[in-house]
Amino acid sequence: MQLQGGTHVHVAFILKLTGESRIITFVKMDDIDAMFSDLLGEMDLLTQSLGEDVVPPKPLPSTEQDINLSIGFTGLNASINELEDNDLDALMADLVADLNATEEKIAAEIQGLHVPPSSSSDLPPPPKGLSVRPSYSITSSSSSGNNNTNSSSSVTTASSSTTSPLPPIQSAKPTMEEVEAQMKADKIKLALEKLKEAKVKKLVVKVLMNDGSSKTLMVDERQTVREVLENLFEKTHCDCNVDWSLCETNHELQLERTFEDHENLVEPLLAWTRDSENKVLFQERKDKFEVFKNPQNFYLWKKDKKSLTDMKDKDKELLVEENFCGTSIIVPDLEGVLFLKEDGKKSWKQRLFQLRASGIYYVPKGKTKSSRDLICFIQFNNVNVYYGKDVKNRYKAPTDFCFALKHPQIQKESQYIKYLCCDDAWTMNLWVTGIRIAKYGASLYENYQTAGRKAAVTAAVWTNRSTPSSSSASTPSPTIKAKTQTQANGYAPKSQAGPPNQGIGNLPPPPPPLNEILPPPPPDPVFPPPPPLLSSKPLPQRQQPSNFPPPPPDPVFPPPPPLLSSKPLPQRQQPSNFPPPPLSMDSLPPPPPPPPMDTSSEDPPDFLPPPPAPAGFSSLPPPPPPAKEATFYGNANRSLPPPPPHTEFLPPPPPDPVILAPGAPPPPPPPPAPIAPPQAAAQPRKMGPAPPKRTTPVLQGGGGGDGGGGDFMSELMSAMKKRTDH
Amino acid sequence: RRLTSMAAWDLSVTVEDLGSDAPPVTISVASDLHVGGVIVKLVEKTQIKRDWSDHALWWEQKQRWLLRTAWTLEKYGIHADARLLFMPQHKPLKLGLPNGKTVWLRACFSNPVFQTVMGICRMLNIRHPEELSLLRPVEEKKKKKDKDLTEEIYDLTEVPLSSVSRPCLYNGTPAHFADSEQMEAVYKMLSVTQPPPAPEAIAKQYRPASVVDKAHINGRWLDSSRCLKQQGIQENDRLWLRFKYYAFYDMDPKYDAVRLTQLYEQARWAILLEDVDCTEEEMMLFGALQYHINKVSLSEPQMPSSSAALDDLESALQSLEVKMEGDGNSASDLLENMTAPELNDYLKIFRPKRLTLKGYKQYWFKFQDTSISYFKSKEESIGEPIQQINLKGCEVAPDVNVAAQKFLIRLLIPAPEGMNEVYLRCENEQQYAQWMAGCRLASKGKSLADSSFQSEIQSIRSFLAMQKTNSGSSNNAAASDESINTHSLVSPRYHKKYKPKQLTPRILDAYQNIAQLSLTDALLRFLQIWQALPDFGHSYVVVRFKGSRKDEVLGIAPNRLIRIDLGVGDVVKTWRYNNMKQWNVNWDIKQMAIEFEGNVNIAFGCVTADCKIVHEFIGGYIFMSTRSREKSDTLNEELFHKLTGGHEAL
Repeated sequence: MQLQGGTHVHVAFILKLTGESRIITFVKMDDIDAMFSDLLGEMDLLTQSLGEDVVPPKPLPSTEQDINLSIGFTGLNASINELEDNDLDALMADLVADLNATEEKIAAEIQGLHVPPSSSSDLPPPPKGLSVRPSYSITSSSSSGNNNTNSSSSVTTASSSTTSPLPPIQSAKPTMEEVEAQMKADKIKLALEKLKEAKVKKLVVKVLMNDGSSKTLMVDERQTVREVLENLFEKTHCDCNVDWSLCETNHELQLERTFEDHENLVEPLLAWTRDSENKVLFQERKDKFEVFKNPQNFYLWKKDKKSLTDMKDKDKELLVEENFCGTSIIVPDLEGVLFLKEDGKKSWKQRLFQLRASGIYYVPKGKTKSSRDLICFIQFNNVNVYYGKDVKNRYKAPTDFCFALKHPQIQKESQYIKYLCCDDAWTMNLWVTGIRIAKYGASLYENYQTAGRKAAVTAAVWTNRSTPSSSSASTPSPTIKAKTQTQANGYAPKSQAGPPNQGIGNLPPPPPPLNEILPPPPPDPVFPPPPPLLSSKPLPQRQQPSNFPPPPPDPVFPPPPPLLSSKPLPQRQQPSNFPPPPLSMDSLPPPPPPPPMDTSSEDPPDFLPPPPAPAGFSSLPPPPPPAKEATFYGNANRSLPPPPPHTEFLPPPPPDPVILAPGAPPPPPPPPAPIAPPQAAAQPRKMGPAPPKRTTPVLQGGGGGDGGGGDFMSELMSAMKKRTDH
Repeated sequence: RRLTSMAAWDLSVTVEDLGSDAPPVTISVASDLHVGGVIVKLVEKTQIKRDWSDHALWWEQKQRWLLRTAWTLEKYGIHADARLLFMPQHKPLKLGLPNGKTVWLRACFSNPVFQTVMGICRMLNIRHPEELSLLRPVEEKKKKKDKDLTEEIYDLTEVPLSSVSRPCLYNGTPAHFADSEQMEAVYKMLSVTQPPPAPEAIAKQYRPASVVDKAHINGRWLDSSRCLKQQGIQENDRLWLRFKYYAFYDMDPKYDAVRLTQLYEQARWAILLEDVDCTEEEMMLFGALQYHINKVSLSEPQMPSSSAALDDLESALQSLEVKMEGDGNSASDLLENMTAPELNDYLKIFRPKRLTLKGYKQYWFKFQDTSISYFKSKEESIGEPIQQINLKGCEVAPDVNVAAQKFLIRLLIPAPEGMNEVYLRCENEQQYAQWMAGCRLASKGKSLADSSFQSEIQSIRSFLAMQKTNSGSSNNAAASDESINTHSLVSPRYHKKYKPKQLTPRILDAYQNIAQLSLTDALLRFLQIWQALPDFGHSYVVVRFKGSRKDEVLGIAPNRLIRIDLGVGDVVKTWRYNNMKQWNVNWDIKQMAIEFEGNVNIAFGCVTADCKIVHEFIGGYIFMSTRSREKSDTLNEELFHKLTGGHEAL
């Protein structure tokens, strides 16, 4: 491995794991020695657990592949030690799954590289060398914290960079030029894809439950809070009502806030200091979506209380509609005297504040309330709003109803934190909610709708569960269809598919599997669901239409027909295809382990039989190898490189679902995977359909968090298509 | 008796087409002759061959049109003493548009104004005409005569009426706009935003100074249920076309090029003339958006935003390809080059909060990804940096004085302990533009590899150029965007408060958040921010509440009525329409009475506007709110009149 000159030292560790598999770690840091020994210890630990706890039979088949995994945080060791056993299990399962996924991809890559015979020759020894580029943020964190042995922080960084292999490319006897052009394009794709993949960060997060217990999850940088919540729902089988939230508490500052569902979780957690006692809580927060349940209390707060409590539902809806569904989001009209803690001083000063969409303002002394005289106190771009606790004691505040505004990175006492005190709790709630509306706008309402849909689905599932599920069992094929729809709709931003439908869809074709589940490594009965699950999910989610000639205007209706016609077929055929590729079978961690794993780790036994199990189960084994996928797509378009380029987003061997799977056996619902498929589909189409549709869905829909990237990639795809066309 | 009643008598009719001096034409009629028959006789008598189909009879004394041709003279009650005029129903009007331009077009003088507006909007290609209406213009302040003469008038009088009643669209544009170059120019005027007005042009316009002033404009709206002729509007009179109801339904940039543009123009002028109040920060953002919109709309041919990005990619790929072909380097090096461009230079750094007296010190700086690191010297840059600063999430502010050659970047960098202040001093414009652009992107978490890097540099440079140009030159002609006077972007209040030079960095500051918007997105953003202003959409009328002795102001908003105390300017009370049970107008004492749920009754007389106008506003908003439910595109005209007409309707 060539080291880059300069300040950064790249260290490559090669560690025998099993057979020929290797883990290659690249770390950039100041103190190599310390890091080295640290890592070795870590790796030992990892290998041990790999061998003993998690996967009794060597999980990694002896396919000759390289697995690249970089661990960029030395504190991992300590943190791992501190985690309870079951946490470790879950974590290891995550890692193993990760490795499997990687392998899967590498297999695909190798295959891909060999298909065009001439191609590999002039490719620089690439895949490994190219792929691993430690991301800066990771490395910086590792360098700053390598001498720490903290035990309190509930967040552990484990950043892994996996190689993203180039999908196989099939060219149907093209001319030399075409081959060359194709190769060039492929190389570019490969390179870009790897650059992106190398940067994905993952955190091990300990989430505190209401009852004092905790759960540990691996969170991908691209995952939104919503996705993490879904994950937790599966783990805790709570009622999934809309109030469930993830909250952040800052111990040192005695501040707390609820993460918004659309936020990415990893980013704010990275701002925590190493030694912080900050916590992530999983709780019900009534104030999170109160504004949508009782908008009158926020928008008509000046009116008398009685008329507000008597408000008809119809009028409430109208209020929400007026303020959240128009061309512009309307911020509650808030104005009042608040106490402001002066910068760095102990005194509190009263001022007349006003909330506007553009920020908080105050009326300067001796001036009128006219807009033009207002002085801007703060704008919301760079700050979050927190509830303050114990401010009377800490800061001699006039009341305990305090909220604070600060940059998320500030973790310690600072004059840059703005504290505001209200007369009562309700006023504080008004302001905090108002600020959130001003800051997040439409996202808040979308979050509420998404959460509401989930709650409805869950309710439906639970009611359905109580009735014998034999009814749905009789007709397996319909359920499968329903299932694909569910997956499609669950995260597609606009899909209106009725909750009941979803509810049913969520139910696995239940009872029969119940029997079949436990025994079967045998693929057929259990596996049919998974392929559709994984392959179909991304398709319907966005832009899937581009798969088919006309870009249908309405995302909800047009897609299904082709979907149903095209998808079930592969679904059914899949099983038969399944056995042959030994490769895939090998890479499957033997199915049996997973279910026990849940039970042992966190999920009470009563949870096992019902629905999620089969789905989770199915998603566990890395789905049919890409090759399979290729045959599927292959019919549509020969020249299509089956799995799209940015493999990290790929459905077939998605790293994410797999990551989630072991920790949360049930269907990893919100994999940020979906971004790729549309592009895959879009690629053959020149550039027509993609651009217009891209906009919103990418941002909210998949919640991949990497919307921008997706954008860029799809544009790149079109651009490349253009190039290769002439 | 029958004979006498049927006896012929002479009816004299003035035929407009014969000229104003020509004597009336006298025809012999009987009372049972219907109006159609009168017209036939009249036309025969004039012996003029032309298309008379648009002509109708106007009854001067009664101020009404005789449009029902099947009605007899007797039924209309017309006798020999009636003064009748025979004239076209469509007559030319000079129509002031929201963008300040004037079109000359033929509008219907015989139908209710509501329909007249529908016709005008069809001709101009504006959807949802119910949101607009006509009003009598405010006389502009006295100005030199020559200005009047130079005003450009866009002529649409030749557009055949048939084309207006059933416009066929080509690519969303009415066919009549494709007829000639002149017509295309008119369409461009309608659908493309105007350049920022000269500061004097803004200062010259009437600006309401108080809520009462704002209330006066609403006394000028025409009555939607009566025709232009009935309201004393003459041929070639000047009227304004404006958005009246601030409830913009189903705005779709694809079909609403003209509507969107004109709405933006109306909003822009509302901001510039302080018709709706905003804060200084908001004004700067509006200024930045105007600047950006102008800049983007000037870069013709209009390209959809995505294709520009694609072109960038295209060239990026090309260069990548070249690099790959030229072997010698390993691919990873190449990728490094492509994806991680760097900036390297000597800059001066200063940390104001540190208690050192050192001042600016020079180091070798390296900008990579989203971080800045610095070294003692270029030679030592292979080693460890003295410090590395990650700019993600930081605040970036410019401190620039071109004349003094001061190019400062002020950074406020978040850290766990708080925010650290760091100043970077650049030597020259070029260096400043690059590093500033880098800081901006990095603060948003984007690296220098981001495709917007170059355009960011470009916009910083053009803002610097703005500082250089003298504020004196203010040609209102479409000047190049490099030389826009920032006073053109803000209301006159800020002309007094800040020099253009002082405004530039403030607007630039706001600009960094919107610089990447496409034209359409920028227009929509402008409208969104406008609509989010607390006073947005309030139409004021001075009223006297029943039982009250003083004048107060009634604000009519899209969803509620607002009672405002004139003295303090405070909102006293609001009533929402959805709680409204009924409202009545007593036309004799000019009083409105409204009943809300919960036995709330209010009544007021209108002072600065006719009762009918207030009545129409309220009914109109209720009508607007019904639109969402019926999805059809057809306008329920009858319902509108029912809600707004009052007793005279229908």
